[in-house]
Amino acid sequence: MDKILSKKAFPQWVKKLQPYRIYAPSRDNGIWIYKDIDKPEGIDLDFLTTALSAKAIIFPQREIFLEFEQTNESVPEINEVLPKDEPTIVFGVRPCDAKAVTLMDKVFGGDFEDIYYWKRRKQTVLVGLACSPPPSPNCFCLSVEGSPHSKEGLDILMTDLGDRYYTESLSKKGEEILNLGKGLFTQPKAEDKKKKEKIHADAEKQVKRHIKDLKKIPPKLQGMWDSPFWDDEAMSCLRCGICTYMCPTCHCFDINDEIYASSPPKGKRIRTWDTCQFPDFTMHSSGHNPRPDKASRLRQRIMHKFQYFVENYKNYQCTGCGRCISKCPVGIDIIEVLDKVRDYGA
Amino acid sequence: MEHNTYIPKLAKIIHIKEEVSGARPVKTFHTQFLQENGFSYRCGQCAMLSVFGKGESMISISSSPLVKDYLQFSILKMGRVTSALHEKQVGDIIGIRGPYGNSFPIEKWRGKNLVFIGGGIGLAPIWSVLKTTLDKKKEYGNLSLFYGARTSNDIVYKEELEEIKEQMTVHLSIDVEEPDWKEYVGFVPLNILDKKPSPKNAITITCGPPIMIKFVIQNLQALGFKDEQIFTTVENKMKCGIGKCGRCNIGLHYVCKDGPVYSWADLKNLPQEY
Repeated sequence: MDKILSKKAFPQWVKKLQPYRIYAPSRDNGIWIYKDIDKPEGIDLDFLTTALSAKAIIFPQREIFLEFEQTNESVPEINEVLPKDEPTIVFGVRPCDAKAVTLMDKVFGGDFEDIYYWKRRKQTVLVGLACSPPPSPNCFCLSVEGSPHSKEGLDILMTDLGDRYYTESLSKKGEEILNLGKGLFTQPKAEDKKKKEKIHADAEKQVKRHIKDLKKIPPKLQGMWDSPFWDDEAMSCLRCGICTYMCPTCHCFDINDEIYASSPPKGKRIRTWDTCQFPDFTMHSSGHNPRPDKASRLRQRIMHKFQYFVENYKNYQCTGCGRCISKCPVGIDIIEVLDKVRDYGA
Repeated sequence: MEHNTYIPKLAKIIHIKEEVSGARPVKTFHTQFLQENGFSYRCGQCAMLSVFGKGESMISISSSPLVKDYLQFSILKMGRVTSALHEKQVGDIIGIRGPYGNSFPIEKWRGKNLVFIGGGIGLAPIWSVLKTTLDKKKEYGNLSLFYGARTSNDIVYKEELEEIKEQMTVHLSIDVEEPDWKEYVGFVPLNILDKKPSPKNAITITCGPPIMIKFVIQNLQALGFKDEQIFTTVENKMKCGIGKCGRCNIGLHYVCKDGPVYSWADLKNLPQEY
């Protein structure tokens, strides 16, 4: 279902979505982040890219699994803490970040469904905004089976036509929230569609960075586990982990207990994001560490995204958002690393 | 309500045995679920044990699935959670979730000779499969065990080893000489070369420190065992138990989900990341 929404009518539509909790990009101390919006006027879709992707709304950086309390001498009380029933809409999701959510779906689905993830995922509507132009000089979505106007993972895709949005509903969830704005939307004219398609095509042309022959990289990586290549590439790494924290597809996490009182114990079990770039991520309690150095950890990051994930789930675990490149304090550039992998030994 | 795998079931510790004392203490725990809905498991699987306020630790289930009234865990005191477990008393409550991982393909081993090889606490992960096949002894060929520890004090399941000696051959060893020790002195891989188990119609199941496993496999190969005849269990640091948290992988395998049991034919193709 394709519709047109004037920019003037946009806040009125958002007002009608009040039963939902609404997140939208918001400027905070010079960076764009998703914020819980209470006034529709507060939404500004004239943004580039958010510092963190929409991942953090579905898979928060920290969440409670359960609470425990030893109320009497013997049996502790365990209370499961599930995410609230809270239908949510996220506005301004970039296509790469929406595609990333579909990759997370694969990880958190499968034989053991992660019910914390799915509770949020199922009640979240992702409203995308096509990129025109690409928001970052390091965007490379076209190389990893994406595009600046990809619909994958989105419930609605909006394209900015200047004074109005071309609005495409892509799922039942998307249809539902479009219907809440009945009367505000008009039918697109042929020139609207034409204009939208031109914007999409122009945006593709403006994606500046590319990985050549990515298909050659997964099989190449298979033979590079023992290569000294990783030592050279990881030399400058500060093991800060920002590449993975900013990544819309990285899903690794930790589970720990936090206590308010130790005896008798009272506290909660929490999940937090974790990163393969930290030394203690894989360290056994004996002190033995299967990934003891920066080289083995950079190798893990690259192999996971471009070989293991491809084997296990048939997708690259990267959507080309470019955040890891832009944010790395020492300039480790995943495109350059992959270029070198492809050409290694040639 | 959908099943939430992260919520442990409560279980009572009904029995504790101090296996090894001193600097590397080992205790064996028997637990019983408070509710009827415990779980059924297969030989080689693991469970995530919780000490509330300390966290969770993945431990192999060392009782046979044929034992219905308790689960057995033998635990070396090592980190935060295992140290907290060592403080527990009979009657205390812990959390258990699982079971996780794959298992030993014992149905395929019917009629074969089974050679078990353990080192130190590494006897625990293969104890379940050893006891199960011993209980169904008629279905298998000749059963034998090679087991070694640093010192005689570090030997776990001392009484049980005496008991099973009546039903199967047990080759014990310690690493360095002790006055009253009458059995083999030397590392487990050397004891294997010394006793020369036959590869004919045989399967070996080994677990122990990584360095021991490495040389055990080398020596088994020297004796003519093929990669498909050699099984081992692997461990890595784990948090979720279901292949999502990202830390226990060996290449594209998650040990918690795709392991911990591997044949050497499979494991040798994975990177040395354990």
